[in-house]
Amino acid sequence: MIMAMVIDIEFIAHILNSTFRLMTPILFVALGSALCNRVFIFNIGLEGMMLTGAFFAIVANYYTHSVIISLLAAMFSAGLVAWVAGIFMVKFKGAMLVVGISVNILMLGATTFLMQIIFGVKGAFVDTSLVSIPKVNVEFLRNVPFFYTLLGSLTYLDYFAVVLAVILYYYMFRTVSGFRLRSIGFNKEAANSIGINADRIQIGAITFSGILSGLGGALLSMGAVTMFIQNITSGRGFMAMAAGALGSAHPIGVVFASTFFGLAQTLSNIFDTQIISSEFMKAIPYLATIVALGIFNYTKIKRGGRINNI
Amino acid sequence: MFLRMENIYKKYGSLYANKDVGLTLKKGEILALVGENGAGKTTIMKVLYGLVKPDSGDIFINDKKVDITNPRAAIKHGIGMVQQHFMLFDEFTVMENIVYGREPRGKLFFDVKKAKQDVINLGKKYELPLDPDRGLNGMPVGLKQRVEILKVLYQDTDIIIFDEPTAVLTPQEVTELLKTMKSLAAIGKSIILITHKLNEVMEVADRALVMREGEKVGDVLVKDTSIKELSYLMVGRHIPNRKVPKVKVGQTVFETKNLSIVKKDVAILDDVSINVKRGEIVGIAGVSGNGQSELVEAVFGLKKSTSGNVIINGVDVTNTTIHNVRDNGVALVPEDRNIHGSAAMATLTENSIMGYYHLDGFSKYGVIDYKASEEFTKELINEFDVASSSTKQLMNSLSGGNVQKLILAREINHKSPFLIVAEPTRGVDIGAMEFIHKELIQKRTNGDGVLLISSELTEILDLSDRIYVIFEGQIKGEFTRENATKEEIGFLMLGGNSIE
Repeated sequence: MIMAMVIDIEFIAHILNSTFRLMTPILFVALGSALCNRVFIFNIGLEGMMLTGAFFAIVANYYTHSVIISLLAAMFSAGLVAWVAGIFMVKFKGAMLVVGISVNILMLGATTFLMQIIFGVKGAFVDTSLVSIPKVNVEFLRNVPFFYTLLGSLTYLDYFAVVLAVILYYYMFRTVSGFRLRSIGFNKEAANSIGINADRIQIGAITFSGILSGLGGALLSMGAVTMFIQNITSGRGFMAMAAGALGSAHPIGVVFASTFFGLAQTLSNIFDTQIISSEFMKAIPYLATIVALGIFNYTKIKRGGRINNI
Repeated sequence: MFLRMENIYKKYGSLYANKDVGLTLKKGEILALVGENGAGKTTIMKVLYGLVKPDSGDIFINDKKVDITNPRAAIKHGIGMVQQHFMLFDEFTVMENIVYGREPRGKLFFDVKKAKQDVINLGKKYELPLDPDRGLNGMPVGLKQRVEILKVLYQDTDIIIFDEPTAVLTPQEVTELLKTMKSLAAIGKSIILITHKLNEVMEVADRALVMREGEKVGDVLVKDTSIKELSYLMVGRHIPNRKVPKVKVGQTVFETKNLSIVKKDVAILDDVSINVKRGEIVGIAGVSGNGQSELVEAVFGLKKSTSGNVIINGVDVTNTTIHNVRDNGVALVPEDRNIHGSAAMATLTENSIMGYYHLDGFSKYGVIDYKASEEFTKELINEFDVASSSTKQLMNSLSGGNVQKLILAREINHKSPFLIVAEPTRGVDIGAMEFIHKELIQKRTNGDGVLLISSELTEILDLSDRIYVIFEGQIKGEFTRENATKEEIGFLMLGGNSIE
């Protein structure tokens, strides 16, 4: 039966579709992580920021039933958390690991607590009144089953993630502002000596990574499903950090790295339901993260390059 | 008068870095700012460049009072600074470094084409040509400095501050730089040169402003003064001429035989065979980064050598442990006193016994005898004149010169027959330098061997009985005190082949 499925072309389309859907939330956050890496910030708080976005998207959704306002709420809340974290990391020179982990623990607790306060439920919150991010209509492809499955149930935000990667690529490598951003990661002191406010650029990058994480989080809670589950991100923020490093903090590289993690999650889901339902399968994406980072850094060291992610 | 600074005060804690300092500068003038480390010359220039905010005082440009609160404002007023530690991005190209902060842009994007053309034109205008596409990684220091200078010129500056620009250069590069300064002054740029090398002042400057302990102690025209007078003003006393007594050379105490380190088919150390005898200071002259650090690391066991031998007092210690090398009689004053030489967050006492804490007298059954260690530290501090308030203070509260003195005291005190010193006077003031040199000569005169590694050629020539020149990991020549000339060593340091 499994063999039959593997040959099935629609099954491939299904895998690709699932990979893409699982990739995009990671991609948003990974692009944020890449930006942080470029300014020599190790932002481990992305996980918590993503969770913040996922939660406040649902909160705004519940009260306004507006997708736009929900997305804005996600970006604003996560951006605010990131901005505060950025001030602690850059202005007050707090240890980046400590600030980041604090954000993660704090936001996990805060969202769990606020879920009980606002919605009066524990564990998960679903409501029929919640709206989801609109999907791109592919009815016209109904006669081409492969593409129909491949491009089915994708939201506009999923497509935007890839467009954003391209925009960020041009921003980083073609604009003056992107040039200065990259310079901070190389030599902050030199930037300051010519009168560039490096602190401001670093905090800006962290804040922007928060905004992107918020979008990634909103895509989790309002994309494929529309609900909030306690710790809905379950490590995707960390995976995104790995993707950021694996893609050498290059927007296009990050797209490929995120795709890899999307695939790992897809495979984990498929094997989980179809072959052996075991905890081991659930661990696949995380194992993939460790193995991928290990191989990546090993080859980098071998080549004599320096490791970007601090 | 083009630039005028008046009544500048800056206090750090209870110490005046600048006390009522005034300064004037004419168009096209080269002003040398001289003084020992900590005399306040860098502070006043940082005030001018907007990196330090003075407690009080005014700055006038063309008789108009200006407010300089950050480097951006300084640049706007036509003031640029070539910093001692290059403020460059090794990952970027020459062009990217030069236009940084004032990049030409099109509608949306960085106009790379125009930027390159600008850099080429700039190089032509000031006769400092550079390839705009060249990466900075691995570029010789002299060229990097040229990038720094062009970077400053690109900002349309009229006043250029050079902070100790010759500290890292070879003699040939120094000549080149001084020539550049003169030609910049000739086309109307005003230059402030911070330095403590008085021969450079005599050669290039029009006027010299001397500072001591935060105050201005002299403002003299160079043509009316002498090195002797300037150094007297700087130090506040006369520096005696150093005498190096003749001693009889004894047995070989240290030897490397065909020592090589090969990494990825590149020889970082290439077949190095050198030796040091008792009663000798042997200098290794060379531009930093030509294998000197690796030589020390290979000898000391910090880095494995690929082939060859290290022999101390007849014992082969090649690729053994650091412990073993030390026990066989090697002491080391490492190049980087803050990273390898001492522990910034440890007390003076702890630093004084580091490396020797396991010896009798400092510990018993694995427990450190702090009382004895403290007594020992006090002795070192007295003997080496380390300015400090307590043996319990942290190492990072000492000035660079005093840190170096304490490290030297520790390494000399254990009477090992062989001492390696790397860059012993980098960034220390004349007083400390004189003291350190005296101690090294004393050690040699006592019949021990000293290997002196320094990128400061004057230091090598002053102290060494024998000199090896190193270039790209190879020993390019050997000289004795008698036949060594600055010119020939400088030539070999840059990779020239022996003139013979």
